[in-house]
Amino acid sequence: MENNLFLTEMILSELSEIVGPDFVSVKESDKFIYSTDWAWMPQMWLDRGMQLRPPDYIVHPGSAEEISEILEIANKYRIPVVPWGGGSGTQGAALPIFGGILIDTKRMDKIIAIDEKSLTVTAQAGIIIAQLEWALNEKGFMLPHYAASSNCATLGGALAPRGTGTMSTKYGKAEDMVLSMQIVLPTGEIICTPPVPKHAAGPDWFRLFLGAEGNFGIITEATMQLDYLPEARLMRAVLFDDLNKALEVGRLIMTHRLNPFVIRLYDRESTSSHVKKVLGYDYDGAYMVMGFDGDPEIAALQEKKAMVYCQQMGGRDLGRDPGDAWWDHRYDFYYPPKSLKLPWMYGTTETVTTYDKIANLYWAEKKAVEEGFADWNVKFIAHFSHWFHWGVMVYSRFIIEEPPQDAQEALRLHNRVWNAAMQAVMANGGMINEHHGVGLKLSRYMRKQYGEAWPLLLKIKKTIDPNGIMNPGKTGFGF
Amino acid sequence: MQLQTATATIENCRYCLMCRHVCPVGHITRRETLTPHGWGLTIASVQRGLLTWNLDTVDVLYSCADCGTCRAHCVTDQALPDAIATTRAEVAAQNLAPAAAYKVHRALQEWSNPYEKQVPETVNGQAEIALFVGDDAKYLRPTALESALKLLEAAGVKPVLIGIGRSSGYLASSLGFPETAKMLVQNTLDELKASGARRMLVLTPGDYYAFDRLLTNRLEVEWPQGVELQEVISLLDEKFTAGMLKFKSSDDKRPYAYIDPTHSLRLPARYETPRHLLAGVMPTAGRELFWRKERMHPCGNGALQFITPHISDHLTYARLADTQKAGAQIAITEDPGCLSHLSRHADRFGLYIQGFYELLADHLV
Repeated sequence: MENNLFLTEMILSELSEIVGPDFVSVKESDKFIYSTDWAWMPQMWLDRGMQLRPPDYIVHPGSAEEISEILEIANKYRIPVVPWGGGSGTQGAALPIFGGILIDTKRMDKIIAIDEKSLTVTAQAGIIIAQLEWALNEKGFMLPHYAASSNCATLGGALAPRGTGTMSTKYGKAEDMVLSMQIVLPTGEIICTPPVPKHAAGPDWFRLFLGAEGNFGIITEATMQLDYLPEARLMRAVLFDDLNKALEVGRLIMTHRLNPFVIRLYDRESTSSHVKKVLGYDYDGAYMVMGFDGDPEIAALQEKKAMVYCQQMGGRDLGRDPGDAWWDHRYDFYYPPKSLKLPWMYGTTETVTTYDKIANLYWAEKKAVEEGFADWNVKFIAHFSHWFHWGVMVYSRFIIEEPPQDAQEALRLHNRVWNAAMQAVMANGGMINEHHGVGLKLSRYMRKQYGEAWPLLLKIKKTIDPNGIMNPGKTGFGF
Repeated sequence: MQLQTATATIENCRYCLMCRHVCPVGHITRRETLTPHGWGLTIASVQRGLLTWNLDTVDVLYSCADCGTCRAHCVTDQALPDAIATTRAEVAAQNLAPAAAYKVHRALQEWSNPYEKQVPETVNGQAEIALFVGDDAKYLRPTALESALKLLEAAGVKPVLIGIGRSSGYLASSLGFPETAKMLVQNTLDELKASGARRMLVLTPGDYYAFDRLLTNRLEVEWPQGVELQEVISLLDEKFTAGMLKFKSSDDKRPYAYIDPTHSLRLPARYETPRHLLAGVMPTAGRELFWRKERMHPCGNGALQFITPHISDHLTYARLADTQKAGAQIAITEDPGCLSHLSRHADRFGLYIQGFYELLADHLV
């Protein structure tokens, strides 16, 4: 684009006609800021004094119709389009790696309707989750998607990568809360999915758009299931000497449907480093936090039964305070300087698998990372935080405190650590990701992840986005 | 703030998005660049040679409202507003600040206020309690001062007035002129000393912040030992609670909302105080804005009104729209700067703007 000023100006004029000149920017300052999202790779790149590919245009549309018209221009000129919500993704899904039009959806932040009978909210997808939650709380409701990124992610940004929140163990992932969506397809059509997600009127095509990370269109509106704010929220902490026994406790609680809204189990290394640093508890062992909510009597009974499993497996009851402290400070882990931050190298190689495989997967990944990169004094920490009836997610992370200073060398090392982690994950029955999404970071593993099924996804992409304009290079899809 | 501290803060904030949802400028512009993360990354990137200070980037730097909302929400208490002010000082020293900033600066140097070509009034007299008047109450809303004095008198307090027509120093500091800010502050502190007062009252949370944290943290000036700093509403509430100040109930049944003044977030302990006093006058409970208390947004006064008036105006519109959405017909607040801005645009929103001190003074028993 930079070599064709005439065309750049023509396209700028056309975009301005759609959204108004105040809502298109080609300023150097904006292009620079939008050139990075929250992924480690671009942040490190800038940290080392290197430039990133910026978008050519930043557009702030106010409606689905405007997005439709923008996509018409993108198709006409074959310009890449990158949807942008809060920019809080860790996988580089919002990076404008080929330039083009970056569509910031945050102007589309209206709450359209709250149905107090069916307990649903319909909102535009650009609303920040925390702001939506404040509005719902004022009416006694909650959208139980309490992600660490709630302060910064948009509703669309929770759905597009199939995000998961702190309370997913009871309330599900963001995708489990969505009833219907309005989507602008890459070719400009504005479609609505069926009004309810559970039916037998043909295949469940609406789920194609969950996890597509903008590749199949831009989510512009969503109707989400709500819950009443709980009457009680009981928190409890337990310490285990043996991580495997703690995992077994989690399995027993889930398979017996005791319905905790959270179980967070930190491995020994994470307990002695992060829990100590942020919460100030100096425990030797695996620190586990459990929460039960809703009706106080039911929650108390569920907790009581869960504690029986804890005792059977040798867990030491730490009481309520370390549980409450965790709940009150659960997002503190993400505020610098408490959070992981540059110039360190780090990556969250989180994954999910079934209970029969989870212990082996954890130890295999830990070994692959720690032994493979011992020369770099790598640290491997993990917690198990999103539990299902059939399995659990492990939030594994690697940290190198003294990485190479050269940006290219650092990027190569980062990719090598990820390769080692992902190979161990896939070899042990894990998915390459549970809730951060694929983005740019994991794009190269998609073919291996899906094997013979991958060409089917490529065909779907080609059908929905014939010119390949949507978020190219992400989620395994090319340009 | 020391440059080294400012740099550490910028390094922490440049990639942190945890307070972006409460940033009022980010909220009205929707530009990532005009958010705490955007300011942090812009400054950090100039330091790394990836950007330079030019018209575009300096405009970004001067678009922060310096309202303290980001810091108030920060779990690790990053002093980003102070770091931005430190950076602005660097930019201003290189003659790269916006022309409007230098114009305001010259007025502050010469007249101690940005509104009138008039030097501060001479202070006479001594008293146990002094009241800092400032420039907003003097030039934008003198009735607020008159009413506050009437209320104080009813409460048995007769303060000596100081800083009559003088900026607190906040504006100069916010624009990147710390030496002028120190001069303004010092002149007021000299008057305070001469008055012999052991307590200094202020009319707004903004002035409280200026003589509290801004003074010590940002300007590194010492507050005089043994002198108490207090908001007028805090003193009035003490007297009201003790039964030493009585109000008759208002006949006005129209729904109203209290607007937390700019900088209220910097003093979270004050949230209930004005509401408690209003409950003593108004016949019904007030409506609450969505952006209230711990998530309050500024009213548009402050440095932005001189440098980026379009953003300042939109902040004002947003407060008025929020009041309207809450179903109120009357917006009440005490800060003369806020009142001035809100009044300017209230008609568009069908709202009546009521001064807090004026309302209370009119209902004294």
